[in-house]
Amino acid sequence: MTGRGTPSRFLTAVLHNGVGRYVRQLQRLQLVFSPTAPDARGARQFVEEAALDFARRHPGVVLYVSPRPCPAPLLLAEYLNGTVREELVASKNGEEIARLAAKLADQSGLDIIRIRKPFHTANPSVQGQWHPFTNKPSALTVRGPRLPPQ
Amino acid sequence: MAAARRAAASWFRLAVRHRSSQSQVPQHGLVAKTSLSSPPWPEVKLPDPLEEAKYHAEVVQKVNEMIATGQYGRLFAVVHFASKQWKVTSEDLIMMDNVLEAECGDRIRMEKVLLVGADDFTLIGRPLLGKDLVRVEATVIEKTESWPKINMRFWKRHNYQRKKIIRNPQAVLRINTIDIFPSLS
Repeated sequence: MTGRGTPSRFLTAVLHNGVGRYVRQLQRLQLVFSPTAPDARGARQFVEEAALDFARRHPGVVLYVSPRPCPAPLLLAEYLNGTVREELVASKNGEEIARLAAKLADQSGLDIIRIRKPFHTANPSVQGQWHPFTNKPSALTVRGPRLPPQ
Repeated sequence: MAAARRAAASWFRLAVRHRSSQSQVPQHGLVAKTSLSSPPWPEVKLPDPLEEAKYHAEVVQKVNEMIATGQYGRLFAVVHFASKQWKVTSEDLIMMDNVLEAECGDRIRMEKVLLVGADDFTLIGRPLLGKDLVRVEATVIEKTESWPKINMRFWKRHNYQRKKIIRNPQAVLRINTIDIFPSLS
């Protein structure tokens, strides 16, 4: 699965983020976990220890904690561009969940697929595109194979 | 008898030296015109150093004036960042393939600037431009992971295959400003 076979995109940012100021793209984060299930122990640990810390560190993100019976604990991340990402946090400890939440907060919600080029510019050339006669004396441009020599 | 022999030997040596010196110094009329004796390209005439210095001073003054009056349009710079050289202008996006210590939203100053160019002039560092001369600033927009790359090892007829899924950390930066300060060193 390399090269042409994989979906790809170019490097972009949502709504010219960072041109004026930076806007965090994660809008809300929901932690769904069962209050009793053994595989949600890490999620409960996260709620007890790290959830407040996360909320304090990311004031632009709404953090919902919903304890309810569910098949597996989930982190639901909603981004400003409408993307919703579900991350399974079954049998993960509190630290791992905190790291995952921080990673989700740093992402932009764009698809995680192959990026074709590591740069993007709206102004590809400032001094004009190179051609064989750049920085050459103008006599060279006048004298050609079909024109009579001066 | 011995004296005569010595004299003859000295004469012989002299003659040999004479002949060898003749063969070493070629006469100018006899040298064939080849690519070794005269190169096929036209002779390069270097400009007069005095005139050149005068011309250089003129150019430097003109560029100084342009910078002082702000008569340059969009600037671009070549920046050494994440062990790569990037040609950037303002509002560009850059993605580095490694961990970045800065947080999202932090403004970074890129200090290794190799070159700054405007429409009509270019400032080239030897190898870097001074910090008081150029300022390139960027914002960290995004810190993500790459798409899952599959590293497959397979040895046919040996019942051997290993599959490794690799995701390396990435960071996306937005170039905010490129500024020139009016002091040409």
